[in-house]
Amino acid sequence: MSVPLSQMWAVAAYVLRQRLRGRRRYPLVLMLEPLFRCNLACAGCGKIQYPPQILRKHLSVEQCLRAVEECGAPMVSIPGGEPLMYPEIGPLVRELVARKKYVYLCTNAILLGEKLAAGLFEPSKYLSFSVHMDGLRAEHDEAVCREGVFEEAVAGIREALARGFRVTTNTTLFEGTNPLRMREFFDAMMDLGVEGMMISPGYSYSKAPDQEHFLRRQRAHELFSRMLSHPKRRWKFNQSTLFLQFLMGKHDFECTPWGNPTYNMFGWQRPCYLLQEGYASSFAELMATTRWEQYGQRSGNDKCRDCMVHCGYEPTAVHHTFASWRGLRGTVVATLTGRL
Amino acid sequence: MPDETTLEGWTPEIGGGLTLEEVVERAFDYRGNVTVVRTDGAEVEGYLFNRCGDVAAPFVELFDGNGDGPLTIRYAEIRTIRFTGRDTAAGNSYAAWLRAREAAKKTSGAPPAAGA
Ligand code: SF4
Ligand code: SF4
Repeated sequence: MSVPLSQMWAVAAYVLRQRLRGRRRYPLVLMLEPLFRCNLACAGCGKIQYPPQILRKHLSVEQCLRAVEECGAPMVSIPGGEPLMYPEIGPLVRELVARKKYVYLCTNAILLGEKLAAGLFEPSKYLSFSVHMDGLRAEHDEAVCREGVFEEAVAGIREALARGFRVTTNTTLFEGTNPLRMREFFDAMMDLGVEGMMISPGYSYSKAPDQEHFLRRQRAHELFSRMLSHPKRRWKFNQSTLFLQFLMGKHDFECTPWGNPTYNMFGWQRPCYLLQEGYASSFAELMATTRWEQYGQRSGNDKCRDCMVHCGYEPTAVHHTFASWRGLRGTVVATLTGRL
Repeated sequence: MPDETTLEGWTPEIGGGLTLEEVVERAFDYRGNVTVVRTDGAEVEGYLFNRCGDVAAPFVELFDGNGDGPLTIRYAEIRTIRFTGRDTAAGNSYAAWLRAREAAKKTSGAPPAAGA
């Protein structure tokens, strides 16, 4: 694992506080979407499919900060759209860092060099650029439907690292992924010098236009087992060991949809980052009125049947890590031995 | 959602087995602007992003064509909803992109623009 100790400690302390307070449901990462606009149009991405007046809109910094306060999660992930196209991204990140939130700015990195040169961000242990990388050059350019994006992203990563920023990668995997190529990809990212990698299977959510190339559960287990078996010690993953083991089929976790609540211009999204079943006007309303029992694999909900996505299952893994000695011991052993 | 399936251009008449609730649900799933026709004949076009059907006075919420809002309209005030805007999800699947890429390669050797 590559999550810095201070961050791990902050998250562990937060989880323990929630448990001491007897809170059954609590958020871990706020998914804050300030806009849906993007400078790419990847096939399979439902996030950008809105009419022009919606794509032109964005949240104000005040709206974002109110959501952060309401939610109270120790980590804030800023996906989108492309957050570097958000005109207030510099001030927003500054405010979040000042509040000691661990920020993951999820970007395709096309604009990263330009924004860094403009002095929009300062290196901080609280800020990490999480760069969208769906594989080596051929795979990534194909996934984002544009030639040359891989090289642009690599240039952005190099620039950020040279300036002392934390950089991680986030990778979504689909049907047809070649596990050997992915192992080469892990090597390549480590050679680049990123702090850690995040991987997750894609999800065939109902509004995503493309259903065929998303992974089904059994196939996903096979793929992740082949990809992650005998992991090289130099590979660092910026996510919990138990989640990686879950992807490999070693744990039977249930989804924690409230773990990564999503806020955007429509409000608080029910029930999770992937499904859009409606919106609540406040975080409290989201938590109190969402019918959580209707979601997750065991609910029998078709939409959840094959889902293994990080935003639903990483919070479960984190909860298990800190909720039992067994979970903690498993994580420590995997960290020390480098085995999954 | 298959590429070919789109509700773009649909102008449903409520009644004869089609309820307003069903049309609202389709409008909520639709990735384009719709036109809400009120019972008094007034119309408002915009993106319908939310609906709340299980409260005492069910309502929909939308941002209008300029992005202003949200506007709240109660079901009781709605005669019908027309699917007037372009369906931004239609034809944008990965499979469609692969097909377009193959076709482009055959003709010019150049890949298609993203989202084609
Ligand atoms: S970069 Fe991200 S938000 Fe933009 S189109 Fe691709 S997947 Fe969607
Ligand atoms: S399993 Fe959880 S994360 Fe996945 S779609 Fe269902 S509610 Fe969302």
